[in-house]
Amino acid sequence: MRQFKVALPNSIEQASALQKSVDVPFIAGGTDLLARIKEYIDTPDLVVDLKRIEGLGEITSTGQGIRIGALVTMDDVATNRLVAEGFPALVETIGNAATPQIRNMATIGGNICQKPRCWYLRHEGYSCAKNGGSGCWAREGENEFHAIFGNQVCAVTHPSNMAPVLVAYGASIEIQSSESKSSDGTLEKRQVEAEQFFLTPEQDPTREVALKPGEIVTAVLLPAKNRTDQWSYAEAREKQSFDWAQASVTVLYQRGGRSGDHRVILGAVSPAPLRRADLEEIIGSRALDADCIQALQEKIGEGAHPLSQNGYKVPMLRGLMAKAIRNLNGEKKEG
Amino acid sequence: MDKRAEESPEGVSRRHFLKGAGAAAAVVTVAKIPSVVDAGHEVSDDPVILGPGSIPITLKVNGVSREIEAPPSTTLLDMLREYHRLTGTKRVCDRGSCGACTVLLDGRIVDSCSMLAIDAVGREITTVEGIGTPQNLTDLQQAFVEKDALQCGFCTPGMVVSCTALLNQNPTPDRDQIRQGIAGNICRCGTYQNIIEAVEHASRKGGK
Repeated sequence: MRQFKVALPNSIEQASALQKSVDVPFIAGGTDLLARIKEYIDTPDLVVDLKRIEGLGEITSTGQGIRIGALVTMDDVATNRLVAEGFPALVETIGNAATPQIRNMATIGGNICQKPRCWYLRHEGYSCAKNGGSGCWAREGENEFHAIFGNQVCAVTHPSNMAPVLVAYGASIEIQSSESKSSDGTLEKRQVEAEQFFLTPEQDPTREVALKPGEIVTAVLLPAKNRTDQWSYAEAREKQSFDWAQASVTVLYQRGGRSGDHRVILGAVSPAPLRRADLEEIIGSRALDADCIQALQEKIGEGAHPLSQNGYKVPMLRGLMAKAIRNLNGEKKEG
Repeated sequence: MDKRAEESPEGVSRRHFLKGAGAAAAVVTVAKIPSVVDAGHEVSDDPVILGPGSIPITLKVNGVSREIEAPPSTTLLDMLREYHRLTGTKRVCDRGSCGACTVLLDGRIVDSCSMLAIDAVGREITTVEGIGTPQNLTDLQQAFVEKDALQCGFCTPGMVVSCTALLNQNPTPDRDQIRQGIAGNICRCGTYQNIIEAVEHASRKGGK
């Protein structure tokens, strides 16, 4: 691997000040960044190591919900009692992600900031809209695992298994920067709802998340109000380990609720997690019966523009949608 | 392993020759790495910046602390193999997808290829060399032998580390839990069935 310098800041302010350009990446778990450096996709001369900053490694109850520090590993999120009690879909989705080793290393902050897994983007020989060039190779090329929604500018799918579930739970991302200090000199905390945190290529093809240079994700905040929800998470992938979902459906269902109370989020079919208010509307206040499933299945492919090799994702979503609703009903959980 | 298999007729093993040739030249010390324990107690406004040349890195591997100079961009895997000369930990994919480089970090399995060695400072690292010896195999390692749980053997160190961690956390795993436990380790020979049987066998013996 190419050699680089490593900065060891001991505060968020130090780390933030170091990131003077996007060419100075942060490293936390390292599982994504080191692979990109080995492939010469990223060639930083300096990497800013966040591991020695205190206060980013705990899961705490805040009264309004829970706060997961950005350096908490995926496994520590999945095995935490507060998370399991309040946000079981998060535990489910993490259990399907990557490998046990990676889940012991990768952090929640790094997970939501990881780069997409497009094979053109991760090949040093290709230039595209995402890395400062123009166009999208996948649209006319090999696109079996690419997006079917919102894929006109760039057809990556969002690689984080957690991201759609965080959007469903109404999570907020806590962000700090050395640029914004309050009068007493402490750094101000900016909060961005997960739904706004993940950007579409139309918003900015070169960024996946709403972070400006120098901004650091310091925590993921989960609001307590979702605790009574019934939940369901269904996904499909080719291989059960070290793979990425081909499609996922997250459903949060409020018993006795109306359309605005439910959440239906599609994952791995678009560049950012895709909230489907039209499907939430169909669930509305009706019974979760076969008619409801059929109506959802008829609607779920609306707006999709499959590419040459990924049309299978539409029927896959129909199947996952049905599975998610049946699991909500308390029928035997399908694997 | 039979020692003869590793040594050439001249009495110089290929491995020892390579190890000697790969030893890094002495490089000027740049800065000490603040340990995880020290973090937050420093008052300086300027963060420590290490490298890109070699710096002293103290790692505690299999219970022994050693300070060795290496660039801060060195992965834990390369540090263990090239600098600590512990070649039991294997380098295969070098991307965190195969598990051949699995080691224990404070008792939990990690892919040593996908983290920096400096992020392991102050933590307990256990490699396969720290789990049993050829003369004194652990119950799990003995079970690997008895159940023929390897073919080419290249995934075996990583498998042994992952299965050791599994039995430490859960001494009586069922088959599904064993499969989950080795979900991050690939065996290209496809010996999974025998590996699962070896873990069950070791579990029945109550060993680790």
